[in-house]
Amino acid sequence: MSDKVAVVMRKAPYGSVYTAEGFRTIMGVAVFEMDISVVFLDDGVYAAVKGQHPEKLDMKPLGDGFPMLGDFGVKKFYVHDESLAARGLTVDDLVVPAEVVSSAEIAKIMGESGKVLPF
Amino acid sequence: MLYTINKSPFSTNNLESALGIAPAGAPILLYEDGVYGAVEGTRSAALIQAALSDHPVFALEADLEARGLSKVIDGVQVIDYDGFVELVEQHDVAPWL
Repeated sequence: MSDKVAVVMRKAPYGSVYTAEGFRTIMGVAVFEMDISVVFLDDGVYAAVKGQHPEKLDMKPLGDGFPMLGDFGVKKFYVHDESLAARGLTVDDLVVPAEVVSSAEIAKIMGESGKVLPF
Repeated sequence: MLYTINKSPFSTNNLESALGIAPAGAPILLYEDGVYGAVEGTRSAALIQAALSDHPVFALEADLEARGLSKVIDGVQVIDYDGFVELVEQHDVAPWL
């Protein structure tokens, strides 16, 4: 069993608690200095979109946290090519310079991780 | 009736379902994650572009801003919370949760 962890973000922010809980989990895993990969897939790509301003919802911007994760040793970000394309987005629209990967590459990242944490 | 949609068109078929039921002329309101359906250049944009010929379509500004969405499909009317209240006062509501 590998010590690697893959956190797979599949939900849009604000409409549910998943994005916020996923972020908290990433921070929690990072504290233990484990090898962590963060994957943005399906509506999860919206979690990392630039320019989020939820002030009128009385919520905190959920995208702002991802660029700070590098300070905690979280350096591997991946985003699904088809999920970006379906939403009319490119990696330049995201708050972190994620590596753009295919479905097969995401399966490989998850397969090489001992644990997959879904959000 | 006012048809309200609050789920992403990529995660459920709620938008497509509501548009299939809503009679011509019925207003459509996109809010919460439903506002992703109002964005141009996406795989689902054709749904709203087609609906605009039969329905007034509204999207809630606060939910667009929260999600960093600025490229709204031409013809979709962006409204604030006061506009939301006006719509609900003027129409019975069919929530497509």
